[in-house]
Amino acid sequence: MLHLQDIHVTFNGGTILENHALRGISLTVPEHQFLTIIGSNGAGKSTLLGAASGETPTSTGRVEIDNVDVTKWPVYRRAMYAARVFQNPLAGTCATLTIEENMALAYSRVKRRDWRLALSSKRRKLFRERISILGLGLEDRLSDSIGLLSGGQRQAVSLVMATLADSRLLLLDEHTAALDPRMAAFILELTNTVVKDFGLTVMMVTHSMKDALACGDRTIMLHQGKTVLDVAGEERDKLDVAHLLEMFNKVRGEELTDDSLLLS
Amino acid sequence: MSLFAFLGTLEIGLIYGLVALGVYLTFRILDFPDLTVDGSFPMGGAVVATAIVAGMNPWLATVLAFLAGAASGLVTAFLAVRCGILHLLASILTMIAAFSINIRIMGRPNMALLGDATIFTPFENMGVDPTYARLAVVFGLVLLSFLFIIRLLSSDFGLALRATGVNEQMVAAQGGSTALYTYFGLALSNGFVGFAGALFAMTSSFADVTSGVGTIVVGLAAVILGQTLLPGKRIWVAVLAVIIGSILYRLAVAFALSSGMFGMQPSDLNLITATLVAAALIVPKMKGKLQFKKSAKA
Repeated sequence: MLHLQDIHVTFNGGTILENHALRGISLTVPEHQFLTIIGSNGAGKSTLLGAASGETPTSTGRVEIDNVDVTKWPVYRRAMYAARVFQNPLAGTCATLTIEENMALAYSRVKRRDWRLALSSKRRKLFRERISILGLGLEDRLSDSIGLLSGGQRQAVSLVMATLADSRLLLLDEHTAALDPRMAAFILELTNTVVKDFGLTVMMVTHSMKDALACGDRTIMLHQGKTVLDVAGEERDKLDVAHLLEMFNKVRGEELTDDSLLLS
Repeated sequence: MSLFAFLGTLEIGLIYGLVALGVYLTFRILDFPDLTVDGSFPMGGAVVATAIVAGMNPWLATVLAFLAGAASGLVTAFLAVRCGILHLLASILTMIAAFSINIRIMGRPNMALLGDATIFTPFENMGVDPTYARLAVVFGLVLLSFLFIIRLLSSDFGLALRATGVNEQMVAAQGGSTALYTYFGLALSNGFVGFAGALFAMTSSFADVTSGVGTIVVGLAAVILGQTLLPGKRIWVAVLAVIIGSILYRLAVAFALSSGMFGMQPSDLNLITATLVAAALIVPKMKGKLQFKKSAKA
Protein backbone atom coordinates (compact mmCIF):
# COMPACT_ATOMS: atom_id res chain seq x y z
CA MET A 1 0.00 0.00 0.00
CA LEU A 2 2.54 2.56 1.21
CA HIS A 3 6.20 2.15 0.52
CA LEU A 4 8.91 4.53 1.74
CA GLN A 5 12.42 3.83 0.52
CA ASP A 6 15.59 5.28 1.99
CA ILE A 7 14.00 8.57 3.00
CA HIS A 8 16.30 11.38 4.05
CA VAL A 9 14.96 14.71 5.20
CA THR A 10 17.21 17.62 6.07
CA PHE A 11 15.90 20.93 7.34
CA ASN A 12 17.96 24.11 6.84
CA GLY A 13 20.54 22.19 4.83
CA GLY A 14 23.91 23.87 4.52
CA THR A 15 23.34 26.28 7.38
CA ILE A 16 24.37 26.24 11.02
CA LEU A 17 20.82 25.13 11.89
CA GLU A 18 21.08 22.04 9.71
CA ASN A 19 18.90 19.28 11.10
CA HIS A 20 19.00 15.82 9.65
CA ALA A 21 15.49 14.80 10.70
CA LEU A 22 15.23 11.49 8.85
CA ARG A 23 18.30 9.40 8.14
CA GLY A 24 17.50 6.78 5.57
CA ILE A 25 14.24 5.28 6.71
CA SER A 26 12.69 2.50 4.68
CA LEU A 27 9.24 1.34 5.56
CA THR A 28 6.55 -0.72 3.89
CA VAL A 29 3.02 -0.63 5.19
CA PRO A 30 0.93 -3.41 3.64
CA GLU A 31 -2.76 -3.01 2.96
CA HIS A 32 -5.05 -3.03 6.03
CA GLN A 33 -2.15 -2.66 8.43
CA PHE A 34 -2.57 -0.30 11.39
CA LEU A 35 0.91 1.02 12.16
CA THR A 36 1.65 3.10 15.24
CA ILE A 37 4.75 5.26 15.47
CA ILE A 38 6.37 6.39 18.71
CA GLY A 39 9.53 8.23 19.63
CA SER A 40 10.75 11.17 21.67
CA ASN A 41 10.47 14.79 20.62
CA GLY A 42 12.50 15.40 17.50
CA ALA A 43 12.82 11.72 16.69
CA GLY A 44 11.24 12.33 13.28
CA LYS A 45 7.75 10.90 13.82
CA SER A 46 5.83 13.78 12.31
CA THR A 47 8.49 14.26 9.65
CA LEU A 48 7.99 10.66 8.57
CA LEU A 49 4.26 11.21 8.33
CA GLY A 50 4.96 14.44 6.46
CA ALA A 51 7.11 12.53 3.98
CA ALA A 52 4.16 10.23 3.31
CA SER A 53 1.61 13.04 2.98
CA GLY A 54 3.88 15.31 0.97
CA GLU A 55 3.92 18.04 3.61
CA THR A 56 7.69 17.64 4.15
CA PRO A 57 9.81 17.60 1.00
CA THR A 58 12.25 14.71 1.06
CA SER A 59 15.93 15.27 0.22
CA THR A 60 16.38 11.80 -1.22
CA GLY A 61 14.35 8.62 -1.36
CA ARG A 62 11.20 7.38 -2.94
CA VAL A 63 7.57 7.38 -1.84
CA GLU A 64 5.12 4.98 -3.40
CA ILE A 65 1.43 4.66 -2.72
CA ASP A 66 -0.42 1.80 -4.38
CA ASN A 67 2.65 1.18 -6.56
CA VAL A 68 2.50 4.72 -7.90
CA ASP A 69 5.60 6.86 -7.45
CA VAL A 70 4.29 9.97 -5.70
CA THR A 71 7.66 11.35 -4.53
CA LYS A 72 7.29 14.53 -6.55
CA TRP A 73 3.57 14.99 -5.99
CA PRO A 74 2.42 17.99 -3.96
CA VAL A 75 0.19 17.54 -0.91
CA TYR A 76 -3.07 18.15 -2.73
CA ARG A 77 -2.42 15.45 -5.33
CA ARG A 78 -1.47 12.87 -2.74
CA ALA A 79 -4.75 13.65 -0.98
CA MET A 80 -6.29 11.47 -3.68
CA TYR A 81 -4.86 8.48 -1.83
CA ALA A 82 -4.50 9.62 1.75
CA ALA A 83 -6.89 11.16 4.26
CA ARG A 84 -5.37 13.02 7.19
CA VAL A 85 -6.27 14.14 10.69
CA PHE A 86 -4.03 16.73 12.33
CA GLN A 87 -2.87 17.27 15.88
CA ASN A 88 -4.49 20.69 16.03
CA PRO A 89 -8.26 20.10 16.04
CA LEU A 90 -8.78 23.45 14.32
CA ALA A 91 -6.51 22.57 11.40
CA GLY A 92 -8.63 19.85 9.85
CA THR A 93 -11.80 21.85 9.41
CA CYS A 94 -12.73 25.27 8.05
CA ALA A 95 -14.18 27.42 10.84
CA THR A 96 -16.33 29.70 8.70
CA LEU A 97 -18.11 26.91 6.85
CA THR A 98 -20.96 24.88 8.28
CA ILE A 99 -20.58 21.27 9.40
CA GLU A 100 -22.23 19.98 6.23
CA GLU A 101 -20.11 22.25 4.02
CA ASN A 102 -16.97 20.91 5.68
CA MET A 103 -18.22 17.42 5.03
CA ALA A 104 -18.94 18.29 1.42
CA LEU A 105 -15.36 19.49 1.03
CA ALA A 106 -14.10 16.18 2.36
CA TYR A 107 -16.60 14.27 0.26
CA SER A 108 -15.11 15.74 -2.92
CA ARG A 109 -11.49 15.10 -1.88
CA VAL A 110 -10.81 12.55 -4.60
CA LYS A 111 -13.06 14.16 -7.21
CA ARG A 112 -12.64 17.03 -9.60
CA ARG A 113 -14.34 19.99 -7.96
CA ASP A 114 -16.72 21.51 -10.46
CA TRP A 115 -19.86 23.56 -10.82
CA ARG A 116 -22.05 20.94 -9.13
CA LEU A 117 -23.96 22.08 -6.03
CA ALA A 118 -21.98 21.12 -2.93
CA LEU A 119 -25.06 20.24 -0.93
CA SER A 120 -27.70 18.08 -2.54
CA SER A 121 -30.38 16.28 -0.54
CA LYS A 122 -28.66 13.00 -1.37
CA ARG A 123 -25.37 14.19 0.07
CA ARG A 124 -27.09 15.67 3.14
CA LYS A 125 -28.67 12.32 3.83
CA LEU A 126 -25.29 10.60 3.66
CA PHE A 127 -23.69 13.22 5.93
CA ARG A 128 -26.48 12.86 8.51
CA GLU A 129 -26.08 9.13 8.50
CA ARG A 130 -22.31 9.22 8.84
CA ILE A 131 -22.13 11.87 11.54
CA SER A 132 -24.77 10.17 13.65
CA ILE A 133 -22.32 7.36 14.52
CA LEU A 134 -20.57 9.88 16.76
CA GLY A 135 -23.56 9.99 19.09
CA LEU A 136 -22.87 13.67 19.72
CA GLY A 137 -26.19 14.90 18.34
CA LEU A 138 -24.40 16.74 15.53
CA GLU A 139 -26.75 15.30 12.91
CA ASP A 140 -29.29 17.94 13.97
CA ARG A 141 -26.76 20.75 13.74
CA LEU A 142 -25.48 20.17 10.20
CA SER A 143 -26.08 23.77 9.16
CA ASP A 144 -24.29 25.22 12.19
CA SER A 145 -20.92 26.80 11.63
CA ILE A 146 -18.23 24.31 12.62
CA GLY A 147 -16.43 27.07 14.50
CA LEU A 148 -19.11 26.71 17.20
CA LEU A 149 -17.97 23.20 18.09
CA SER A 150 -15.36 22.32 20.71
CA GLY A 151 -11.91 21.06 19.70
CA GLY A 152 -12.86 17.48 20.54
CA GLN A 153 -16.07 17.65 18.53
CA ARG A 154 -14.19 19.11 15.58
CA GLN A 155 -11.64 16.33 15.79
CA ALA A 156 -14.46 13.77 15.79
CA VAL A 157 -15.96 15.41 12.70
CA SER A 158 -12.50 15.41 11.07
CA LEU A 159 -12.34 11.66 11.53
CA VAL A 160 -15.75 11.18 9.97
CA MET A 161 -14.68 13.48 7.13
CA ALA A 162 -11.62 11.32 6.55
CA THR A 163 -13.89 8.40 5.70
CA LEU A 164 -16.29 10.26 3.38
CA ALA A 165 -14.22 10.01 0.25
CA ASP A 166 -12.93 6.79 -1.14
CA SER A 167 -9.37 6.22 -0.04
CA ARG A 168 -7.68 3.56 1.99
CA LEU A 169 -4.73 5.29 3.60
CA LEU A 170 -5.31 7.26 6.80
CA LEU A 171 -2.54 9.40 8.29
CA LEU A 172 -3.02 10.44 11.92
CA ASP A 173 -0.59 12.96 13.41
CA GLU A 174 -0.97 12.80 17.21
CA HIS A 175 -4.61 13.47 16.65
CA THR A 176 -5.55 13.03 20.32
CA ALA A 177 -2.65 14.99 21.83
CA ALA A 178 -4.50 18.31 22.12
CA LEU A 179 -7.64 16.87 23.71
CA ASP A 180 -8.68 16.26 27.31
CA PRO A 181 -8.27 12.63 28.48
CA ARG A 182 -11.93 11.69 28.12
CA MET A 183 -12.26 13.17 24.65
CA ALA A 184 -8.92 11.61 23.67
CA ALA A 185 -10.20 8.18 24.71
CA PHE A 186 -13.40 8.75 22.75
CA ILE A 187 -11.51 9.78 19.61
CA LEU A 188 -9.18 6.81 19.89
CA GLU A 189 -12.09 4.42 20.21
CA LEU A 190 -13.75 6.10 17.25
CA THR A 191 -10.52 5.73 15.28
CA ASN A 192 -10.49 1.98 15.91
CA THR A 193 -14.12 1.73 14.84
CA VAL A 194 -13.77 3.58 11.54
CA VAL A 195 -10.52 1.82 10.69
CA LYS A 196 -12.25 -1.53 11.11
CA ASP A 197 -15.48 -0.49 9.36
CA PHE A 198 -13.76 0.95 6.32
CA GLY A 199 -10.82 -1.47 6.15
CA LEU A 200 -8.26 1.35 6.19
CA THR A 201 -4.49 1.26 6.16
CA VAL A 202 -3.28 3.51 8.95
CA MET A 203 -0.15 5.31 10.07
CA MET A 204 -0.68 6.81 13.53
CA VAL A 205 1.89 8.96 15.28
CA THR A 206 1.43 9.14 19.03
CA HIS A 207 3.18 10.28 22.19
CA SER A 208 1.44 7.68 24.28
CA MET A 209 3.20 4.31 24.48
CA LYS A 210 0.03 2.83 25.90
CA ASP A 211 -2.01 3.92 22.88
CA ALA A 212 0.74 2.80 20.54
CA LEU A 213 0.50 -0.75 21.87
CA ALA A 214 -3.25 -0.79 22.43
CA CYS A 215 -4.11 0.29 18.89
CA GLY A 216 -3.20 -1.34 15.66
CA ASP A 217 -1.09 -4.35 14.81
CA ARG A 218 2.43 -3.03 14.34
CA THR A 219 4.56 -0.50 16.19
CA ILE A 220 7.78 1.21 15.23
CA MET A 221 9.97 3.38 17.43
CA LEU A 222 12.02 6.18 15.91
CA HIS A 223 15.11 7.71 17.35
CA GLN A 224 17.22 10.43 15.73
CA GLY A 225 15.65 9.83 12.38
CA LYS A 226 16.12 6.07 12.36
CA THR A 227 13.94 3.09 13.15
CA VAL A 228 15.17 1.49 16.37
CA LEU A 229 12.30 -0.90 16.95
CA ASP A 230 9.85 -2.58 14.61
CA VAL A 231 7.51 -5.12 16.18
CA ALA A 232 4.36 -6.86 15.08
CA GLY A 233 2.37 -10.00 15.85
CA GLU A 234 3.15 -12.13 18.87
CA GLU A 235 6.33 -10.34 19.75
CA ARG A 236 4.34 -7.14 20.01
CA ASP A 237 1.55 -8.73 22.01
CA LYS A 238 4.08 -9.67 24.69
CA LEU A 239 5.32 -6.10 25.00
CA ASP A 240 3.94 -3.74 27.62
CA VAL A 241 4.64 -0.12 28.38
CA ALA A 242 7.38 -1.00 30.86
CA HIS A 243 9.27 -2.95 28.18
CA LEU A 244 8.87 -0.18 25.73
CA LEU A 245 10.06 2.39 28.22
CA GLU A 246 13.08 0.25 28.97
CA MET A 247 13.99 0.06 25.29
CA PHE A 248 13.36 3.71 24.97
CA ASN A 249 15.80 4.47 27.77
CA LYS A 250 18.29 2.04 26.33
CA VAL A 251 18.54 3.82 23.00
CA ARG A 252 18.71 7.11 24.82
CA GLY A 253 21.49 5.76 27.01
CA GLU A 254 23.49 4.59 24.03
CA GLU A 255 23.16 7.99 22.61
CA LEU A 256 24.78 9.42 25.73
CA THR A 257 27.65 6.96 25.83
CA ASP A 258 28.65 7.45 22.25
CA ASP A 259 28.02 11.13 22.36
CA SER A 260 31.07 13.23 21.80
CA LEU A 261 29.51 15.78 24.10
CA LEU A 262 30.80 13.80 27.07
CA LEU A 263 34.35 13.90 25.75
CA SER A 264 34.48 17.56 24.92
CA MET B 1 -32.09 65.39 -4.03
CA SER B 2 -33.94 65.43 -7.35
CA LEU B 3 -35.36 62.24 -8.83
CA PHE B 4 -32.86 62.52 -11.68
CA ALA B 5 -29.94 62.75 -9.28
CA PHE B 6 -31.36 59.86 -7.24
CA LEU B 7 -31.57 57.59 -10.29
CA GLY B 8 -28.06 58.57 -11.31
CA THR B 9 -26.79 57.71 -7.85
CA LEU B 10 -28.60 54.38 -7.94
CA GLU B 11 -26.96 53.58 -11.27
CA ILE B 12 -23.47 54.39 -9.97
CA GLY B 13 -24.20 52.45 -6.80
CA LEU B 14 -25.17 49.38 -8.81
CA ILE B 15 -22.11 49.63 -11.06
CA TYR B 16 -19.85 49.95 -8.04
CA GLY B 17 -21.76 47.01 -6.60
CA LEU B 18 -19.81 44.92 -9.12
CA VAL B 19 -16.59 46.43 -7.78
CA ALA B 20 -17.79 45.54 -4.29
CA LEU B 21 -18.43 41.97 -5.45
CA GLY B 22 -14.85 41.77 -6.66
CA VAL B 23 -13.46 43.23 -3.47
CA TYR B 24 -15.63 40.83 -1.46
CA LEU B 25 -14.13 37.90 -3.36
CA THR B 26 -10.56 38.91 -2.59
CA PHE B 27 -10.76 40.58 0.83
CA ARG B 28 -13.40 38.41 2.42
CA ILE B 29 -13.35 35.08 0.60
CA LEU B 30 -9.67 34.73 -0.23
CA ASP B 31 -8.33 36.94 2.57
CA PHE B 32 -6.10 38.54 -0.07
CA PRO B 33 -5.90 42.35 0.17
CA ASP B 34 -5.91 43.21 -3.51
CA LEU B 35 -5.28 46.74 -4.72
CA THR B 36 -5.16 45.65 -8.37
CA VAL B 37 -8.71 46.96 -8.70
CA ASP B 38 -7.41 50.54 -8.85
CA GLY B 39 -5.81 49.50 -12.14
CA SER B 40 -8.35 47.02 -13.46
CA PHE B 41 -11.29 49.44 -13.11
CA PRO B 42 -9.88 52.06 -15.52
CA MET B 43 -8.55 49.20 -17.65
CA GLY B 44 -12.10 48.00 -18.22
CA GLY B 45 -13.06 51.51 -19.29
CA ALA B 46 -10.01 51.91 -21.51
CA VAL B 47 -10.57 48.62 -23.27
CA VAL B 48 -14.27 49.13 -23.88
CA ALA B 49 -13.79 52.70 -25.13
CA THR B 50 -10.93 51.81 -27.46
CA ALA B 51 -12.72 48.74 -28.82
CA ILE B 52 -16.01 50.59 -29.40
CA VAL B 53 -14.32 53.53 -31.09
CA ALA B 54 -12.48 51.03 -33.27
CA GLY B 55 -15.89 49.71 -34.35
CA MET B 56 -16.24 46.57 -32.28
CA ASN B 57 -19.60 45.26 -31.14
CA PRO B 58 -20.21 46.89 -27.71
CA TRP B 59 -21.16 43.59 -26.04
CA LEU B 60 -18.00 41.96 -27.32
CA ALA B 61 -16.05 45.00 -26.17
CA THR B 62 -17.55 44.57 -22.69
CA VAL B 63 -16.51 40.93 -22.60
CA LEU B 64 -13.03 42.04 -23.65
CA ALA B 65 -13.00 44.52 -20.75
CA PHE B 66 -13.89 41.71 -18.35
CA LEU B 67 -11.06 39.58 -19.72
CA ALA B 68 -8.57 42.47 -19.50
CA GLY B 69 -9.46 42.95 -15.83
CA ALA B 70 -9.16 39.22 -15.23
CA ALA B 71 -5.72 39.22 -16.87
CA SER B 72 -4.46 41.89 -14.48
CA GLY B 73 -5.79 39.78 -11.61
CA LEU B 74 -3.80 36.84 -12.94
CA VAL B 75 -0.64 38.94 -13.00
CA THR B 76 -1.11 39.80 -9.31
CA ALA B 77 -1.80 36.15 -8.48
CA PHE B 78 1.33 35.11 -10.38
CA LEU B 79 3.49 37.61 -8.48
CA ALA B 80 2.04 36.49 -5.15
CA VAL B 81 1.74 32.73 -5.62
CA ARG B 82 4.57 31.88 -7.96
CA CYS B 83 7.08 34.58 -7.03
CA GLY B 84 6.19 34.73 -3.34
CA ILE B 85 5.81 38.51 -3.23
CA LEU B 86 3.79 39.87 -0.32
CA HIS B 87 0.12 39.97 -1.39
CA LEU B 88 -0.38 43.67 -0.86
CA LEU B 89 2.85 44.60 -2.62
CA ALA B 90 2.14 42.27 -5.56
CA SER B 91 -1.18 43.99 -6.14
CA ILE B 92 0.34 47.46 -5.85
CA LEU B 93 2.92 46.53 -8.49
CA THR B 94 0.19 45.42 -10.89
CA MET B 95 -1.83 48.54 -10.14
CA ILE B 96 1.10 50.85 -10.93
CA ALA B 97 1.94 48.92 -14.10
CA ALA B 98 -1.71 49.04 -15.19
CA PHE B 99 -1.61 52.85 -15.20
CA SER B 100 0.97 52.85 -18.00
CA ILE B 101 -0.76 50.02 -19.82
CA ASN B 102 -4.11 51.81 -19.74
CA ILE B 103 -2.59 54.86 -21.42
CA ARG B 104 -1.02 52.55 -24.02
CA ILE B 105 -4.38 50.92 -24.66
CA MET B 106 -6.11 54.21 -25.36
CA GLY B 107 -3.07 55.95 -26.79
CA ARG B 108 -3.85 58.90 -24.50
CA PRO B 109 -4.94 59.45 -20.88
CA ASN B 110 -8.65 59.76 -21.63
CA MET B 111 -11.13 59.11 -24.36
CA ALA B 112 -14.68 60.24 -25.11
CA LEU B 113 -17.45 57.90 -26.19
CA LEU B 114 -19.86 60.57 -27.38
CA GLY B 115 -22.15 59.40 -30.14
CA ASP B 116 -20.79 55.88 -30.26
CA ALA B 117 -23.23 53.01 -29.78
CA THR B 118 -22.82 51.27 -26.43
CA ILE B 119 -24.64 48.25 -24.99
CA PHE B 120 -27.20 50.74 -23.67
CA THR B 121 -28.02 52.38 -27.01
CA PRO B 122 -30.67 49.87 -28.23
CA PHE B 123 -32.49 50.06 -24.89
CA GLU B 124 -32.32 53.85 -24.74
CA ASN B 125 -34.02 53.99 -28.13
CA MET B 126 -36.92 51.76 -27.12
CA GLY B 127 -39.18 54.68 -26.34
CA VAL B 128 -38.88 54.74 -22.57
CA ASP B 129 -36.97 57.39 -20.71
CA PRO B 130 -33.26 56.64 -21.41
CA THR B 131 -32.38 57.09 -17.74
CA TYR B 132 -34.78 54.32 -16.73
CA ALA B 133 -33.70 52.11 -19.60
CA ARG B 134 -30.06 52.41 -18.62
CA LEU B 135 -30.85 51.74 -14.99
CA ALA B 136 -32.84 48.64 -15.92
CA VAL B 137 -29.95 47.24 -17.99
CA VAL B 138 -27.43 47.90 -15.22
CA PHE B 139 -29.80 46.33 -12.70
CA GLY B 140 -30.21 43.26 -14.89
CA LEU B 141 -26.46 42.82 -15.33
CA VAL B 142 -25.79 43.23 -11.60
CA LEU B 143 -28.57 40.74 -10.81
CA LEU B 144 -27.03 38.19 -13.19
CA SER B 145 -23.61 38.71 -11.63
CA PHE B 146 -25.12 38.31 -8.15
CA LEU B 147 -26.82 35.03 -9.10
CA PHE B 148 -23.64 33.77 -10.73
CA ILE B 149 -21.54 34.49 -7.64
CA ILE B 150 -23.89 32.84 -5.14
CA ARG B 151 -24.26 29.80 -7.38
CA LEU B 152 -20.49 29.60 -7.77
CA LEU B 153 -19.87 29.86 -4.03
CA SER B 154 -22.39 27.07 -3.36
CA SER B 155 -20.68 24.65 -5.73
CA ASP B 156 -17.97 22.11 -4.90
CA PHE B 157 -15.45 24.43 -6.53
CA GLY B 158 -16.75 27.47 -4.65
CA LEU B 159 -16.62 25.70 -1.32
CA ALA B 160 -12.91 25.02 -1.78
CA LEU B 161 -12.46 28.65 -2.89
CA ARG B 162 -14.10 29.83 0.34
CA ALA B 163 -12.01 27.49 2.47
CA THR B 164 -8.77 28.67 0.81
CA GLY B 165 -9.01 32.05 2.52
CA VAL B 166 -9.52 30.45 5.92
CA ASN B 167 -7.49 27.26 6.13
CA GLU B 168 -5.05 26.54 3.31
CA GLN B 169 -3.66 23.46 5.02
CA MET B 170 -7.10 21.90 5.14
CA VAL B 171 -7.83 22.66 1.49
CA ALA B 172 -4.58 20.97 0.45
CA ALA B 173 -5.33 17.98 2.68
CA GLN B 174 -8.73 17.73 1.00
CA GLY B 175 -7.13 17.59 -2.42
CA GLY B 176 -7.55 21.23 -3.45
CA SER B 177 -4.77 23.30 -5.00
CA THR B 178 -4.77 26.59 -3.12
CA ALA B 179 -2.70 28.15 -5.91
CA LEU B 180 -5.44 27.37 -8.43
CA TYR B 181 -8.12 28.94 -6.23
CA THR B 182 -6.01 32.04 -5.67
CA TYR B 183 -5.48 32.47 -9.43
CA PHE B 184 -9.14 31.91 -10.13
CA GLY B 185 -10.38 34.17 -7.33
CA LEU B 186 -8.19 37.07 -8.33
CA ALA B 187 -9.03 36.69 -12.02
CA LEU B 188 -12.76 36.60 -11.34
CA SER B 189 -12.59 39.50 -8.89
CA ASN B 190 -10.70 41.75 -11.28
CA GLY B 191 -12.83 40.56 -14.17
CA PHE B 192 -15.88 41.94 -12.38
CA VAL B 193 -14.03 45.16 -11.61
CA GLY B 194 -13.05 45.50 -15.27
CA PHE B 195 -16.67 44.86 -16.21
CA ALA B 196 -17.74 47.61 -13.79
CA GLY B 197 -15.15 49.94 -15.33
CA ALA B 198 -16.59 49.23 -18.77
CA LEU B 199 -20.16 49.96 -17.62
CA PHE B 200 -18.97 53.12 -15.93
CA ALA B 201 -17.23 54.32 -19.09
CA MET B 202 -20.29 53.57 -21.25
CA THR B 203 -22.79 55.27 -18.91
CA SER B 204 -20.63 58.35 -18.44
CA SER B 205 -19.46 58.41 -22.07
CA PHE B 206 -15.78 58.65 -21.32
CA ALA B 207 -12.86 56.60 -20.10
CA ASP B 208 -10.11 58.10 -17.99
CA VAL B 209 -6.97 56.52 -16.49
CA THR B 210 -7.41 58.42 -13.25
CA SER B 211 -10.93 57.07 -12.69
CA GLY B 212 -9.40 54.15 -10.78
CA VAL B 213 -7.97 56.14 -7.91
CA GLY B 214 -9.53 54.95 -4.66
CA THR B 215 -11.58 52.16 -6.27
CA ILE B 216 -10.37 49.77 -3.59
CA VAL B 217 -11.48 52.04 -0.76
CA VAL B 218 -14.91 52.56 -2.29
CA GLY B 219 -15.29 48.81 -2.78
CA LEU B 220 -14.15 48.12 0.75
CA ALA B 221 -16.53 50.77 2.11
CA ALA B 222 -19.41 49.03 0.33
CA VAL B 223 -18.41 45.60 1.65
CA ILE B 224 -17.99 46.78 5.23
CA LEU B 225 -21.05 49.04 5.26
CA GLY B 226 -23.27 46.36 3.75
CA GLN B 227 -22.10 43.57 6.02
CA THR B 228 -22.41 45.73 9.12
CA LEU B 229 -25.99 46.72 8.29
CA LEU B 230 -26.99 43.33 6.91
CA PRO B 231 -25.11 40.75 8.92
CA GLY B 232 -25.72 37.10 8.18
CA LYS B 233 -23.73 33.95 7.74
CA ARG B 234 -25.61 32.71 4.69
CA ILE B 235 -23.66 33.28 1.54
CA TRP B 236 -26.48 34.91 -0.46
CA VAL B 237 -27.14 37.37 2.37
CA ALA B 238 -23.46 38.29 2.49
CA VAL B 239 -23.26 38.83 -1.28
CA LEU B 240 -26.52 40.79 -1.38
CA ALA B 241 -25.30 42.92 1.55
CA VAL B 242 -22.22 43.91 -0.43
CA ILE B 243 -24.28 45.24 -3.35
CA ILE B 244 -26.75 47.02 -1.08
CA GLY B 245 -23.79 48.46 0.81
CA SER B 246 -22.52 49.97 -2.42
CA ILE B 247 -25.86 51.62 -3.18
CA LEU B 248 -26.25 52.94 0.38
CA TYR B 249 -22.71 54.29 0.32
CA ARG B 250 -23.41 56.23 -2.90
CA LEU B 251 -26.72 57.53 -1.56
CA ALA B 252 -25.13 58.68 1.69
CA VAL B 253 -22.35 60.46 -0.15
CA ALA B 254 -24.72 62.08 -2.65
CA PHE B 255 -27.01 63.20 0.14
CA ALA B 256 -24.18 64.68 2.20
CA LEU B 257 -22.76 66.54 -0.79
CA SER B 258 -26.03 67.76 -2.30
CA SER B 259 -27.51 69.03 0.94
CA GLY B 260 -24.37 71.08 1.52
CA MET B 261 -24.29 69.70 5.05
CA PHE B 262 -21.27 70.56 7.16
CA GLY B 263 -20.07 72.75 4.29
CA MET B 264 -18.63 69.80 2.38
CA GLN B 265 -17.45 69.93 -1.22
CA PRO B 266 -17.01 67.09 -3.73
CA SER B 267 -13.26 66.93 -3.20
CA ASP B 268 -13.86 65.94 0.44
CA LEU B 269 -15.20 62.62 -0.80
CA ASN B 270 -11.96 60.69 -0.30
CA LEU B 271 -11.57 61.96 3.25
CA ILE B 272 -15.15 60.99 4.10
CA THR B 273 -14.73 57.54 2.56
CA ALA B 274 -11.47 56.83 4.34
CA THR B 275 -12.97 57.97 7.66
CA LEU B 276 -16.03 55.81 7.08
CA VAL B 277 -13.96 52.70 6.32
CA ALA B 278 -11.64 53.31 9.27
CA ALA B 279 -14.64 53.76 11.58
CA ALA B 280 -16.33 50.63 10.27
CA LEU B 281 -13.13 48.65 10.90
CA ILE B 282 -12.61 50.04 14.41
CA VAL B 283 -16.18 49.83 15.73
CA PRO B 284 -16.48 45.99 15.76
CA LYS B 285 -13.22 45.78 17.74
CA MET B 286 -14.42 48.39 20.27
CA LYS B 287 -17.69 46.51 20.59
CA GLY B 288 -15.80 43.32 21.42
CA LYS B 289 -13.74 45.09 24.05
CA LEU B 290 -16.80 46.69 25.64
CA GLN B 291 -18.57 43.35 25.84
CA PHE B 292 -15.48 41.84 27.40
CA LYS B 293 -15.38 44.56 30.05
CA LYS B 294 -19.08 44.12 30.77
CA SER B 295 -18.77 40.38 31.22
CA ALA B 296 -15.71 40.89 33.41
CA LYS B 297 -17.72 43.17 35.68
CA ALA B 298 -20.68 40.81 35.88
